[in-house]
Amino acid sequence: MSAGEILWQSVVPLFSALPVTLTVLGLLLVVGLALGTVLAFAQTYGRRPIRALCVSYEQLFRGIPPIVVLLFFWNGLFQSIGMPRVLVAALALGMRSAAYQSQIFRGAIQAVPAGQMMAARSLGMSRFQAIRSVILPQAFRLALPPWSNEYSSVVKDTAFICVIGGLIDLTRQAMMKVAPLSMRPGIGTQLVLPYLIILGLFYLVLTFSGTALLSLLERQLQIPGFEMKGKVER
Amino acid sequence: MKKLLLVLGLLVVLGLAVTAETYKVASDTTWPPFEWQAGTGELIGFDLDVMRLIGILEGYDVEIVSYSWDIIFIDVGSGSVDIGASGATITAEREQIVDFSMPYWTSNQAVIVLGSSGLNIASALGAGKKIGAQVGTTGAKWVQEQLIDKGVDVQLVEYTLYPLAVLDLVNGNVDAVVQDEPASRASAAADSRLAIVGVIETGEEFGFFVTNGDPKGVLPKINDGLQQLKASTAWADLIKAYMGGAELAKIEAAWTAAAPLLAAKDVVGFASALAAGATSP
Repeated sequence: MSAGEILWQSVVPLFSALPVTLTVLGLLLVVGLALGTVLAFAQTYGRRPIRALCVSYEQLFRGIPPIVVLLFFWNGLFQSIGMPRVLVAALALGMRSAAYQSQIFRGAIQAVPAGQMMAARSLGMSRFQAIRSVILPQAFRLALPPWSNEYSSVVKDTAFICVIGGLIDLTRQAMMKVAPLSMRPGIGTQLVLPYLIILGLFYLVLTFSGTALLSLLERQLQIPGFEMKGKVER
Repeated sequence: MKKLLLVLGLLVVLGLAVTAETYKVASDTTWPPFEWQAGTGELIGFDLDVMRLIGILEGYDVEIVSYSWDIIFIDVGSGSVDIGASGATITAEREQIVDFSMPYWTSNQAVIVLGSSGLNIASALGAGKKIGAQVGTTGAKWVQEQLIDKGVDVQLVEYTLYPLAVLDLVNGNVDAVVQDEPASRASAAADSRLAIVGVIETGEEFGFFVTNGDPKGVLPKINDGLQQLKASTAWADLIKAYMGGAELAKIEAAWTAAAPLLAAKDVVGFASALAAGATSP
């Protein structure tokens, strides 16, 4: 068997582990987006105690390594109630991502000139109406570039989820293949590095395709004359 | 065919629900020949087959769950999985969080170097050397306690996976790797540049383990099954199949061929077919 074939045999299982990584990634982004948006508005427009609560949440989850959050959520909280592992992983990483995303959205909301809110209120809109129809559409556009940064960051956070026992994502699957691969007579140890590079390519493709879609979305939603200040014309 | 499989599968699931209990077995399936994932996706290895055969003998079903090594003790300790089967050495430290079965395997630590380095066991573990080992294993512990703590000026480099330590050895980043003998033999057999320069007679004993206090009462079953297994020809056959230094691909093929016997709960027949397949020329 050629080296390429041996390598390919170990690559095939990665495709079957891909759904686990994609599911966790998708769910964690949903959790992060929903919770992050709420946190951002609460932090910007909320009363003082609510603001303080949001800041504590954000500081807490931005200050703890993802592995610790995952271990705490699984071993400390949800294992005993029998929640599916994939959900626990997505919730843990999603709540962590929400802390980061809240800052992205807060920055975007604050980048919308304060006069917009005043103008909307002077037209008779309620605060909620103003946020929904005036602030949010603009803030969303401003938030897209930094949000794509957060996306590319959490793609790789999913590689930590295998600290939850029994959850076989891309990275764990690759680690399970490293040992038998390295013990292939004659060629094994030389194939480990190419194999890990292929594992890296999986994440590269996930990151690249996601950020490419987001920048497409960014162009689609662009409003001429309303861009981040200092944008370079190409 | 698919429908037939579905119906069969349903029958099996229903049958299990009524008749037999299922125990979850946690294992770090990155450690041939004790546990690894075959090309077919099946989790196989010495530990796992011993677990399956004991399950057959004692009338319970076994579900193997793949775990990262460092997490197994936490989850068996908390009882979210029932049994740990992962080439674990019985130590007083581990006894505090889990209960071990009777020993089923005695292992020593082998020292691997690059053949071209010309090192022997004394110089490989001598002053100024970098020694690799898997984190949390008895190999790493031995280097710490028997060398570093006793004042020998060596550096211990720990890896999450054993093959990564070997890879670093091949790349010349460490001088030697200390690891359980069977895994070391498999590595040395696979790469002619690697040589085992010696075996440290630690005589450590492997045990299966359950939650402290054995709340599910599974430990007596394991011990009883283990005794039955050791008294039969299946035990020697399993050792022959997995510890004989056969190429992993060959063991995998033999396992796939013998799997129907496992499904038919034929303990002795399965082990003998596995041994015959793995050792055939």
